[in-house]
Amino acid sequence: MAKDKVYWKGFDHLANTEVSKRLSENEFAEDIPMDQFLGDDNLMGNSSTSRRDFLKYVGFSTAAATLAACEQPIVESIPYVVKPDSLTPGMPAYYATSYVDGQDFASVLVKTREGRPIKIEPGDKARFNWGTNGRAQASVLSLYDSARLKQPLKAGVESDWTTISLDLKEAIDQSVTEGKQFVLMTGSVFSPSMKLVIENLRQSYANLVHVEVDAISNSKVLDVWEDLTGVRSIPGIDMKAADIVVSFNEDFLSSSIPQQLSSDYAFRRKPGKGMLRHIHLESNLSLTGSNADKRIKLKPSQVEFSLAFLLNFVSGTKYHVGKIDKILTDQLERVAKELIAAKGKSLILVGGNSTSNAYLCAALNAALKNFGSTIRPDRPIYTQSGSDLAFDNAMADMNQGQVGVLVIAGPNPVYNRIGFDLALNNVEYSLSLTDRLDETATLTDAAAPVPHYLESWADFAPTNIDFSVSQPVIRPLFNSKPVIEVLSELVGIKKSSKDLVKESVISQGLNWSQTLHDGGASIKIDSETLSISEIINRAITSVKVANSTLNTIDNSVMEISLYQKTVGAGYQSNNPWLHELPDPISRCSWDNYLTISAADALAMEFINETLSNGALDGSLADIQAGEYSLKNVPVLIQPGQAAGTVGLALGYGRKKVGKVADGLGVNANELNLSKGFGSVVISKTDGMHQFASTQLGNTMMGRKIVNEVSLNDFINDPKGSTWNEKPTYHTLDGTIGTDEANLWKNHDHETMHMWNMSIDLNSCHGCGACVIACHIENNVPVVGKAEIRNFRDMHWLRIDRYYSSDMTAEIADMEDIGVVAKYAGMEKPGVSPEVVFQPVMCQHCNHAPCETVCPVGATVHSREGLNHMAYNRCIGTRYCANNCPYKVRRFNWFNYQKNERFTSVNPSQDDLGRMVLNPDVTVRARGVMEKCSMCIQNIQFGKLEAKKAGRPLKDGEINCACESACDSGAITFGDVNTRNSAVQIAKNDSRSYHLLEEVGTQPSVFYQTKVRNRI
Amino acid sequence: MPEEVVLYFCITQKGLLNSCRMYIRIRFLNFIVLRVLTIVLTISALSIPLSAEVDVDLGKKLFKSNCASCHKLDKKLIGPALAGVTQRRSEEWLLRWIRNNAELRASGDADAKAIFEEYNGSIMSAFPALADDDIKSILAYTDAVPVVAPPKEISPGLPIAEPVNDSLLLYIFGGFLILFVTLLLQIRNTLKEINGQNKSTVIQDFNLLTQWLVGNKRFMTAATIVSTVAFLYQLFWFLMGIGVETNYQPVQPIAFSHKIHAGENQVDCNYCHSSARHSKHSGIPSTNVCMNCHMYIDGSEILNDAGVAKYAGERSPEIAKIYSAIGWDAENRSYIDNYETKPVRWIRIHNLPDLAYFNHAQHVTAGGVECQTCHGPVQEMDVVYQYSKLTMGWCINCHRETEVNTSNGYYADAEEGTQSINERLALKFHDELITVEKIGGLECGKCHY
Repeated sequence: MAKDKVYWKGFDHLANTEVSKRLSENEFAEDIPMDQFLGDDNLMGNSSTSRRDFLKYVGFSTAAATLAACEQPIVESIPYVVKPDSLTPGMPAYYATSYVDGQDFASVLVKTREGRPIKIEPGDKARFNWGTNGRAQASVLSLYDSARLKQPLKAGVESDWTTISLDLKEAIDQSVTEGKQFVLMTGSVFSPSMKLVIENLRQSYANLVHVEVDAISNSKVLDVWEDLTGVRSIPGIDMKAADIVVSFNEDFLSSSIPQQLSSDYAFRRKPGKGMLRHIHLESNLSLTGSNADKRIKLKPSQVEFSLAFLLNFVSGTKYHVGKIDKILTDQLERVAKELIAAKGKSLILVGGNSTSNAYLCAALNAALKNFGSTIRPDRPIYTQSGSDLAFDNAMADMNQGQVGVLVIAGPNPVYNRIGFDLALNNVEYSLSLTDRLDETATLTDAAAPVPHYLESWADFAPTNIDFSVSQPVIRPLFNSKPVIEVLSELVGIKKSSKDLVKESVISQGLNWSQTLHDGGASIKIDSETLSISEIINRAITSVKVANSTLNTIDNSVMEISLYQKTVGAGYQSNNPWLHELPDPISRCSWDNYLTISAADALAMEFINETLSNGALDGSLADIQAGEYSLKNVPVLIQPGQAAGTVGLALGYGRKKVGKVADGLGVNANELNLSKGFGSVVISKTDGMHQFASTQLGNTMMGRKIVNEVSLNDFINDPKGSTWNEKPTYHTLDGTIGTDEANLWKNHDHETMHMWNMSIDLNSCHGCGACVIACHIENNVPVVGKAEIRNFRDMHWLRIDRYYSSDMTAEIADMEDIGVVAKYAGMEKPGVSPEVVFQPVMCQHCNHAPCETVCPVGATVHSREGLNHMAYNRCIGTRYCANNCPYKVRRFNWFNYQKNERFTSVNPSQDDLGRMVLNPDVTVRARGVMEKCSMCIQNIQFGKLEAKKAGRPLKDGEINCACESACDSGAITFGDVNTRNSAVQIAKNDSRSYHLLEEVGTQPSVFYQTKVRNRI
Repeated sequence: MPEEVVLYFCITQKGLLNSCRMYIRIRFLNFIVLRVLTIVLTISALSIPLSAEVDVDLGKKLFKSNCASCHKLDKKLIGPALAGVTQRRSEEWLLRWIRNNAELRASGDADAKAIFEEYNGSIMSAFPALADDDIKSILAYTDAVPVVAPPKEISPGLPIAEPVNDSLLLYIFGGFLILFVTLLLQIRNTLKEINGQNKSTVIQDFNLLTQWLVGNKRFMTAATIVSTVAFLYQLFWFLMGIGVETNYQPVQPIAFSHKIHAGENQVDCNYCHSSARHSKHSGIPSTNVCMNCHMYIDGSEILNDAGVAKYAGERSPEIAKIYSAIGWDAENRSYIDNYETKPVRWIRIHNLPDLAYFNHAQHVTAGGVECQTCHGPVQEMDVVYQYSKLTMGWCINCHRETEVNTSNGYYADAEEGTQSINERLALKFHDELITVEKIGGLECGKCHY
């Protein structure tokens, strides 16, 4: 039975060490460090202030403060001279635009207040990639990054745009006379107006070489698809048409492929007949892998042979499959059978920038007749077009001194490619059009600022049927100029980027105002891809060539696989929200590290140890990949990591990005693994690394915390009597449920609204976009690595991750395992543990333990089912946090907005960063408790809008920040007193249960049982 | 109330803010007493009836509502200056012109055509609704007002303009009191003398009384208790008053009078504070809103209390501040190109602490609360002051007593087959008054988040 499964939060939890025990008893592992926040230790020790003096000071300062309080400061109120029509002070205005940061693309809605953007929300669902991941959510803070370049620089000295333009023009003219190249290096270009400008440039300058380079290259895969379909693009994926998805190392939920699939995935994973089955084969435990129904561990080098094996099995061919061990072939055979059963409705995805993998994957999809159904070459996605070949050629030309002018607009090759810094020395004139003085821009002759996407006009054609526009929502903060204007000036077109974009939109036959309002439009351009039969032919022919090149890799060699965390490729590294969010899997924040399996760690003597205060330390390792190496990489033991493999996240080890992330982590690009994986040699070095892990925080031991059921059980017992039993109490009046066993009177929840929230554990993928959205909406302070290490994170919403043991009661019954052995097995970590995610915020208990213990009545209950927190009443006893069974209350240990300890991490410490604060939410001071308010500002706003219009509230009108950030729709919020509201339906669902229901807190938040499609 | 008194009050206020709050209270009480006295005195002294003709008054009214946007009496605006127009044109011609000038022009009247061309073909509106008497009244008004009034000193004889010195009054009263007591003592001593008793001085009497009181234990105990309680009571209210800025009346950068705008001219509060209906902020009007009217009204026609043009027919210096903020060239009647605007830096009067969330729309639109409920008689204030205490207790009291506007569709309407909030409230509270408190208006999280 599912409920007998033992979940554990980490190795320490499993071993039940002293610290783990202590943490489960108290919220904080060690005593409160009074001296730390009272002042400097030395100063305190040497102070000659006696007790008597101290009292005098206190008396005097109290009197002085009282007197000072008598006089009111003069507050000015300065209205507009001419108020813009579209703006009402105090009311939000929304604009549709497109988010691009060099890596991601999304259609978003921007919330502005008094003319400044404060929140990014998902865009119109008719647009391509309408959802927001963590990076898109956090991108609004990158606008207010004080590390952005403010003025054009020439040789490091402040200059102006006229000088930069003249210099550039002169350098280009010189390169023409000298017969040298003019290299324009950009990210992937899928903007029609930009393409037009580059085309014009090419016609004016015959020596122009345009190089597209992606931070994380997908060039080889693009080459393969170009070969197969005739168009250099990734084919679209229709997850909704699939019944089974088999993914090899492809973390598609974290969007390492350019199409956002999480909403479709969640849609198809609704429990019931025909639920999408997901099999994941990978080496690192990825976010996607942890959501799979079946996860098979394999080394990166085994992917191609596994694909060949499946291809042989499906189509009866006899491709070379190398040496795969029996266990893996058995598993693959089962996968193959499932795939054959779902022919035409299956989907094979493969990750990594590898030619042979891409060919094999295409051939397998062809053999399974997936082209045209789940794989849509007629819907090509153009958001990635970087070419390794073009880049390598350009770099070779640079080294040979053939490049006269180099304009880098966007990419940061000094950071993510090897040898570019040296090649730059041989370029006569180089100009960086950049948002900051990054690794590349500091080495170029000149650097000039470009606007942030929230300050720019742009247009995009991400696919052949979608057209999106980007409009500025704020005037440019700095003296920046869009790349498109700089380039079009070179060919003598002096038009603003707005005019260029407008021309482009109108040339598509679209209405300018309507397109701007909607953030884009649907268009229809016939894709130039070949016919599906031709693609299938090509896929099958090319695979023979690809298969013949496969080499068997020695099994004893350690293999590395690079992956992405929330920070992605590192474009937004200076954004503290992305670092503060703990990694969904490892629950470590502010770091990247080498993930290693427990068995390998034991063999190589790597250790992870927990200190007396609960903080985690880990050994350091050196990595050698051919001639490239990385020193002092922290090692983290990761359950679910395939033996013989290690993982390392990209996007860290930045040196010139800003105060937040400089020197944070190691740069995985230095290993020069263009495929994204390869063999390495790992060796242990001296020293220990300090992790900032939240893994030991807030343990909830062996109870029905995450309820889980297999799909078969769910279908056989839809009422849930066997898998979702409600706890009961035995009393003198007989057996009663938790809602009847009351010590207190019930609140009146029937008369007005009753706000409830449902969290579907089946749809929650654990990505953490909701956590970042909550941070932004509620002005939650960033506390930085040191404080997280002390378990003083301020997240109002956290996503607990539990590993499970592979042993369940069903398996024990089936395999005839005895009771003792069964429980022993449950205690042990599985070879490949299943993972569950559970977002936990304040549960808004209707019998709240926190409310009864507050000595000052700072936390009280509302008749709308919410647990209110009045910050200005709170005197900081922290009694409520100790009494909270869910450990969701957060204490402000410091004045994060002022304390200089947080200057480098907290955005609200400078005037620019402060602009992102939500004006409707109080910024909490030191010494008060805070917690989830269910976005009460949105509730109040929504109610008022209804009252202003004189109509009843509509269901779905009021959204919590976490709810609207969730692409997969895992969170539903609303009034259960509204008939047939989404949340009322969810509450009455058989899957619904309360967290720790037996405690009798009667929470307003409830969870939906996770259903796993096991076979 | 005379303007000088207001100013004086304002200055007194500002000065006293820096000293003790207790002192403010005493001074304020004093002041209230004096103010009442002053008003009584003023009203009794001011029984001068206005000896104006009725039709001129009507004419003034009609002129302001119909003509003032294009015409002034003494100056060209969009149309010509109208003072003495009856001397320039015949009454009959004027009647025809005002009622429908286009018709008059079409009829081929040479004068009409000439004036039309003189003003570059600007078309004057027709006023067919005005009766002959109305037009005659307007004309009478244009005649009645002197073209240019010489700047005059405000005559000291008029009681209304006389600043009343409150401390002088206090001295006079005090003098009377001393005189009265002295007289009483004199009488007493005389009586004593008649009775053959010894005369006693005041000091001697006082010493005797003190000795007796100090010797009396009961009195001393009672006195100690009373003074302690009084002290604590005063201390409590002193502390409670910290941060409460009732009557805060700062001097604003422009001497804007709500009395003139909202009171005399009946401009709706929402016309300028338009966002109060939609947003949490009432919004201070942006300068372009001022210009909606002040493009035409430059204050030159303002009369002082003596009935004489206050600014000698010149533009009001206060209205000139608006022009300088937005860059309006009053001579050429156009906005100045590329003008660097100077936003007006008003002093905020009602300052709620950041921890309290207040929404105007909730009260104005949803609750239907009058502005004056919290802001006091703004239409009578020349200089706005903080009328309410703006303390949490003040908010809470109102929420306890005020009935919810349950006619709003939010409460009254419901989807087919479901209960509206009103019906649910009726089930719970039956016939009781539904106050804000009953729907959760006292809960912390409604205003603090």
